Formats: sequence, structure tokens, C-alpha cells
Amino acid sequence: MEDVVKGLSLLLEFENIILILAGVLIGVLVGALPGLSSPMAIALLIPFTISLDPVAAISMMAALYCAGTFGGSITAILINAPGAPPAVATALDGYPMAKNGEPGRALGLAAVSSVIGGVFSLIVFIFAAPLLASLALEFGPAEYFALAVFALSMLASMSGKSSLRNLISGLVGVLIGTIGIHLTTGVERFTFGVPDLEEGIHFVPVLIGLFAVSELFKQSEKLNTVVDRIHAKALRLPSFSELKKLKYTILRSSGIGTFIGILPAEGSTVAAIIGYNEAKRWSKNKELFGKGSPEGIVGPEAANNAAAGGAMVPTLALGIPGSGSTALILAALIMHGFRPGPYLISETPEFVYAIFGAMLIANLGFLFIGLIGAKFFSLVAFIPKKLLWPAVFIFSLIGSYSFASSMFDVYVMLAAGLLGYFMDRNGFSAAPLVMGLILGKLVEESFSQSMIIHDNNFFALLESPVVLLFFTLTFLSLSSPFWAKLFIKK
Amino acid sequence: MKNNKHAPSNLGALFNKNDTIIASLMIGIIAFLWFITTGFEKVPDLFSNNIPPEMFPQILLIIILGMVLVIPFEHIFLKKSGKDIDDSRKNPVAKSTIGTMVILSLIVTFSQVLGATLTIIAISIALPIYWGEKRLKVLIPYVIGFPLFVILLFNITLGVHFEPGLLEFIID
Repeated sequence: MEDVVKGLSLLLEFENIILILAGVLIGVLVGALPGLSSPMAIALLIPFTISLDPVAAISMMAALYCAGTFGGSITAILINAPGAPPAVATALDGYPMAKNGEPGRALGLAAVSSVIGGVFSLIVFIFAAPLLASLALEFGPAEYFALAVFALSMLASMSGKSSLRNLISGLVGVLIGTIGIHLTTGVERFTFGVPDLEEGIHFVPVLIGLFAVSELFKQSEKLNTVVDRIHAKALRLPSFSELKKLKYTILRSSGIGTFIGILPAEGSTVAAIIGYNEAKRWSKNKELFGKGSPEGIVGPEAANNAAAGGAMVPTLALGIPGSGSTALILAALIMHGFRPGPYLISETPEFVYAIFGAMLIANLGFLFIGLIGAKFFSLVAFIPKKLLWPAVFIFSLIGSYSFASSMFDVYVMLAAGLLGYFMDRNGFSAAPLVMGLILGKLVEESFSQSMIIHDNNFFALLESPVVLLFFTLTFLSLSSPFWAKLFIKK
Repeated sequence: MKNNKHAPSNLGALFNKNDTIIASLMIGIIAFLWFITTGFEKVPDLFSNNIPPEMFPQILLIIILGMVLVIPFEHIFLKKSGKDIDDSRKNPVAKSTIGTMVILSLIVTFSQVLGATLTIIAISIALPIYWGEKRLKVLIPYVIGFPLFVILLFNITLGVHFEPGLLEFIID
């Protein structure tokens, strides 16, 4: 409890609150703009928050992440174009309700259920954190190595067409992480005589290129898309009696979302879809689904926001990101000098609680911002793409350059953008590459240390029960396409 | 459609053309990188703790190679689960996308000469015009207003150093 109080005292400084609210505002805006995404906004934010206090910087990104998930539902409801993938299921009933003349009610249901889902997952975390901290005491280099291998294996189940291609992307990320001077021996690897490569490829330009610039190239194919808009004058909060009717759907989805979010590499989109399906399965009014059912809105919304909170648990406690956005937050943590993983909770618990406090404020913040700004947010989706995307590129350019005042980083950003575009066309996701890049150093360092400790005897690693557990989970994760089929058939 | 339901009857149907090209390219890159790893500086075993610098990249390259070899046939498994890997690449890359890539690459290449301010202005002008924005009442305020906003925010407020580039000579 003392750590929770310390964390809150770190957080509740005027500057931090302002930055959190700015993060919420950016998150809702970005979420509401189709094409722009939370990972992209976080990637662009990282270079400008490096000079900030870590609590302020990470809190701002966490707030943006939470609010971005809700922001995506605004366009899903008003123009049937989810601003972010987790809002896909919200559009199924949100848009019909808006078309039936109740856009404010649909937005209100989405906002309130998002808040409940988000707060639910944070409460779960506060109780789960001490358990994870005690687990941290068992972790040495071998355990870290096994954990990182498990995290990489989980990349296969991330969103995207192909598990195989996700794994390849992840390993390519790890390989890119080996560029530069080898820490143990001081030998240059893959530097090709370029001095800028000696310290390795910086995260920031790669992240910006893969998430922002590649999206710009994709958007350049569909600049003239015209969408119908439904005017929303204000967000209308649901009445107490309406919430009472929906309480089981909201609570069920909050539980589902938190659980799925905690699973490494599973994200809000999966949670929202399961939340929607479960809401429909348990509903007494199944026939209303697809026609503007309130349960069809609160089900996915509570789930996707709960998953956003849940995904921060493996990110902060185990160093395994649960989604593209949390991978970027992980990168930001590393840049601020933290070592995400079990020691983060055992050594700096107040920092972890401060971040979760920020997410709590963000959850209440986007309700407030949504209440006063629904009309405005319904309009931002109509900023002409021909003006919006040049602006995104300019921010990308400045973000990449300002991180280390290096033109080389700008070239890396452009190359990453081109790579990301062609990867996407061919079914390779960018998020696993980013995760591989982030986890790469951890994998190699922990592998080398474990081998030194165990006299280069790989099998000696298996003497640790934690290592054995993670390797078993890795095997189960990689073989899941085979046994899942058998299980489903039966 | 027959191939969707049954095992491919000929060798050609086993391979996906696009994926075979991608796999071949990747194998070439892997071979090149493997060759590069063989040229890493040698260090004594005692110094490297029996883990030479090329060991980890080589392990990765072997695992990636194993996976890449499956790519040309992966479409068969994906089709069984209702996924079409060719869906996102059915159409060739749009001319507007290629043009955008060329414009941005050119601007970035010359950005060191242009300097930050002129680069920002060049992007603000070139992309909207290339994408067909013809409304001057929108374009002019954007081209003037947005770069000004960026300079005020990043250069003046946040203190990001903007290289003057050509502007220095123009002002002189």
C-alpha cells in the first residue's frame, strides 16, 4: 500500500497531470482519425519525451494508449470506419444505433463501458503486482532468456495473416538488434564500415518508419475515399437503470478483456471480438445484434479497454509487450534507463503504480473529454488526408532527427517506412519486428550470460523450473495450430 | 477453386509465385549476411567466453532460413484456414504510392542541403499538390501556416536544432 501512495505522490504533480491530459487528448484525436493509430502517435511522441521525467513521459504514453482505444470507437460509431482495429466490433452495433438517430447514446455507452473496463483491469493489476514481484526473485539470466524466447514465440499469435511470417518478422527484428558493437567482445557486427551503425540502429526512427511512414504510403493509395458522417451534437451518458441492465455484459467483458490483455502478445482487438461474441451469446435479445444493440456496444468496448490495461501487466512485469503500443512503451522505458521485467516491479514499484495511476486518470479523462468534445471529435475525421499525411511525415522527420540530431536516423526512418509498406503487402506485420528489435538485446545478453554460468551446457538451463515452464509454454505456443485443431475437432 | 479443396495436383500449384520470389530474395540476403558473419573479427575463446560474436547472428540466420523455406508453400495452409495471402497484393503498387515514395526519398536525400525549414516547406507543397489538392484557399494557408506552426513549436518552443541549409546562403 505504501508503494501505491508513493506512486500516486510521484504522479500527482501539476506538470504530470497536464501531460496525462494532453496524452488523453492526443489519444482520442488520433483514435478518431482513421489511418492514424496509437502506436504511430506513441512512436512520434517518444523522441520529444526523452528529456522529460520518466514518470511524466511514460504516463503520457500510457494515457495516450488508453484514450486511443476509446477514440477509435468514435469514428466506428459515427462513420462506420473504426479509427483503430480494437473498435472494429463496436462498429457492428454502434453505427446502426447512430443511424437510428441515437449517436450520442451510442457514444455514451461506449465511453462509460470503456471507463469501467479500463478501471476493472487496473484494479486487477494492483492486486496482481505483488504476486509478480515475488516471482521476480526467482529470475536470473537463464530465466530471462527462457522468458524472452517465450515472448518471441508468442509473436506468432499476434494479429496478421500468418503466424510464420510474424515469427520471421520477430527474428528479423532480433537480427537487426545485433547490428553494432558486440558488448562482450567489442567486435563490430554488420556495420559495413558505416560509423553511424557502430552503436546500432536506434529504436525511434525504426518505430516511426514502420508505424507512421509505411501507413502514409498505404494511405496514398486511397486519398479520395469519401465517407458519410452522422452528426453527433453531444455524448449522452446512459442512465443508471440502463447501466443496471447492462452490468453483467460490462463485467463479463471487463473480465475477458483483462485476461486476454494479460496474455503476452494478445491484444485489444482479439478481446473486443470475443467480448462482442460473448455479449451476443449471453444476450436475451440476440435478434437486436447488428441493428444497434446496446449490449453490442458495451461488450466490445469494455473488453478492449480492459485489454489495454491488462496488456500493460506483461509489458511492465515481464518485459513482454502485449501489443504494438505496449511494445513502444517498452522501448520508451528502455530509453529512459529502465529494465522492464520482474525487477521493475520489485525495485521500483512506485514507478509502476504511478503509470497505472496515470491510466486511471486517463480513463476518467477521456470520459470528460468525450463529454465536452464529442461534436469536435466527430469532425476531426474529415480533415483532408491530402493535408493530414504531409503533416504526419513532417512530424516523423522531426521526431527521427531530433532524437539524436542525426540525418542518418532520418534515412533509417525512410528505409523502415519503405520496408514496412512492402512487408505489409506481403503479409509480414511490423509489430513483431519491433518486438524482436526490443527483445533482441535481452535475448542475446541473457543467452550469453546463461551459457557462461552453465559452462556452455545448454541442457543445464533446464534444471530451473521457471526455465522449464517457459520452454514448455514456448513449445505449446508454437505447436498450438496443430493441437488447437485436434481440440476443436473433438 | 479446385486447388482450394484438394491437394495441389502439380508442382506449379505447390508454389506461390510472389512468395517464391520473396523467399528467394530472403535466402540471398541470408547467404550474404552469413558470408558477412564469417568475416567478423576473431577473438580468443578466453576473451569471448566461448561465445564468439558471430554465434548468435548465425543461429538466428539458420532459424530464419528454416522458416523462409516454408514461405512458398504457406499459401496452401493459409487457404485451408480461409486466408488469402495474395489479398493485399492483388493490385500492383499504385502509381500515387510510387510517386509519393520517389518525392519523399528525393526530399529526404536533399534535406541536408535544403535545411530543415525548406524541407518542411517542400513537403507541405509537394505532397498535397502531387495528391491533387488544387484548392488554393486551402493550400496557401496550409503551406504558410503549418511550417510556421512546426518551427514555432519545435525550433522555438522545444529547442530542436533546425539546420539552416540553403536558407543560410539566401539570408546572407
